[in-house]
Amino acid sequence: MEIQNLKGRVAFIFDEPNFDIDQIVGVKNIKVQDLDELKKHAMATYDPSFVDTVRPGDLLVGADNFGYGHPHYPSMKIMRHLGVAGVIAESYAPGYWRGEMSLGFPQVTCPGILDFVKRWDEIEVCWKEGIIRNFTQGTSISFEPLTQADAALLAAGGLVPYLQEVMGISPVNTQ
Amino acid sequence: MGKTITEKILARASGLPDVSVGQEVLATPDFVLAYDWPGQTDVMFREMRDQLGIARIAEPERIGFFIDHMVPSVTPQEEETHIGTRKWCSENGVDLFEKRGIGHQVASEVGFAVPGAFAVHFDGHVSQLGAFGAFAVGLRRNVLEAMVRKQVPIKVPATVRIDLEGELPKGVMARDVFHHIVRLLGPSFCRFQVLELGGEGIENISTEGLQTITGLAMFTGALTAIINPSPERLAYALTRARKQIEPQYSDADAVYAQRHRISLDTLEPIVVAPPSPANTRLLSEHAGLEVHTGYLGSCASGRLEELRVAAQILKGRRVHQGFSLHIVPTSHEIMAAAAREGLIETLVEAGAFVSSSSCDFCYGRIATMAAGQRAVSTGTLNVRGRMGSIDSEIYLCNAATLAASALNGRITDPRPYL
Repeated sequence: MEIQNLKGRVAFIFDEPNFDIDQIVGVKNIKVQDLDELKKHAMATYDPSFVDTVRPGDLLVGADNFGYGHPHYPSMKIMRHLGVAGVIAESYAPGYWRGEMSLGFPQVTCPGILDFVKRWDEIEVCWKEGIIRNFTQGTSISFEPLTQADAALLAAGGLVPYLQEVMGISPVNTQ
Repeated sequence: MGKTITEKILARASGLPDVSVGQEVLATPDFVLAYDWPGQTDVMFREMRDQLGIARIAEPERIGFFIDHMVPSVTPQEEETHIGTRKWCSENGVDLFEKRGIGHQVASEVGFAVPGAFAVHFDGHVSQLGAFGAFAVGLRRNVLEAMVRKQVPIKVPATVRIDLEGELPKGVMARDVFHHIVRLLGPSFCRFQVLELGGEGIENISTEGLQTITGLAMFTGALTAIINPSPERLAYALTRARKQIEPQYSDADAVYAQRHRISLDTLEPIVVAPPSPANTRLLSEHAGLEVHTGYLGSCASGRLEELRVAAQILKGRRVHQGFSLHIVPTSHEIMAAAAREGLIETLVEAGAFVSSSSCDFCYGRIATMAAGQRAVSTGTLNVRGRMGSIDSEIYLCNAATLAASALNGRITDPRPYL
């Protein structure tokens, strides 16, 4: 199975290093699970129009050590719900990386990404070639390859389907 | 070319003669640990049964479960989570350690901290088993893979070595060493790598102190932290070990991604100001700041030497009027030892609220702060809302600073009291 390329606009750039993703929905909402409720808070302090302007396939861009702190799942849960297809950052905090990758949510490590894109640029992450193309600016940049295990996790669409695959369990039997 | 302790442990766990940094291997964890937590372990139980078709787990002796959060329960739902965990452990023949203390500490007490072992948990603070020379990694949800398969994929990480020299001055404690490392090298210098501590100074820090330092490793970006075994730490760990494993040691010519030296003699007490574990400051910058509550406990604290220093400072004195001091020994074993030494008596007489062990003070489930309140804490984290209202604040500090601050209701340098 192959990982689908990510093709979309840069919907937002978090240029602050060590970015705490809980800020996306606000610390007081990190225990909220209801998507309609989360939508009201998503990006409220960064760009209140975000929830209306984001489109399926859009991507987020982050700086160094993206996901530092004590990341909770609701921020990226609402991002996925809004159609965000993945995150590209200069580098990641390991805990955040693991948590999101296990859900099959693509994370791309790309040193230099902050200088490579502007907000709303149209880009594509080409997994096979290991490059990101910027269609708006006509440029490309290479990114760090995934480990085989992470690639298998993304290709399967997350931890449980990945385990079903490697353990030879038919998803037909599952609920 | 020499190998690090981490490379040697992963080579053994992968059944390979040796492994090198960057190599992807399938390694067999010796131990798979977890505490019960709604949305995490209950989901994992369901996924195993309904989606992976696992009626009964293989090799249950590898697994250890802890009930340390939501202790004691305050809602029927919390108790139901515990009931589910008890049932799953009983059905699967898995050892459950309930209300014995904070799991990462209890794990050491009941023999999961085996020198040379490879252990996994979903929670990254399990890195503190590294104080005993175990390679212990937090996998978050991927711990499910370790539960259901023999092996987990892991890319052999590079190691950053920090050598300590000298001795800590009075009033400066192990956690100040950790905060100093973050202050010096930043919150991401060890990203996806292993923090290995060594040097002659390491033997001047207690085992408990090394548990504190290694347990906080995630705030440097590290996957985990590890320390080569010493005779003293081996003696503790091997008498309790649940599995016979050959201890491992880094070779003198092991290759490190970075090497740093830190002199302990010149360190000062540090406070970590809100709202980030990266916001490390000298105590002197915040001395005098009014604080309303204090928490001495967590998996990163609450051990005997910290209870002793708090008792030393509080003995014969009273906590500041209106200040709430919560002291939570890390485990019942530690609490019993503290009671035998008379520390509990001293702390209670000084006005502390001493509780049986629980994780719940650390994340505001109990002793919850209101807006505008400010805490000194030996907990793990100081992000907004961690211990209650998002408009409350947490200053992390060592146990001596905490006790001295409790006397004055202000952040206070403990050194004049020692």
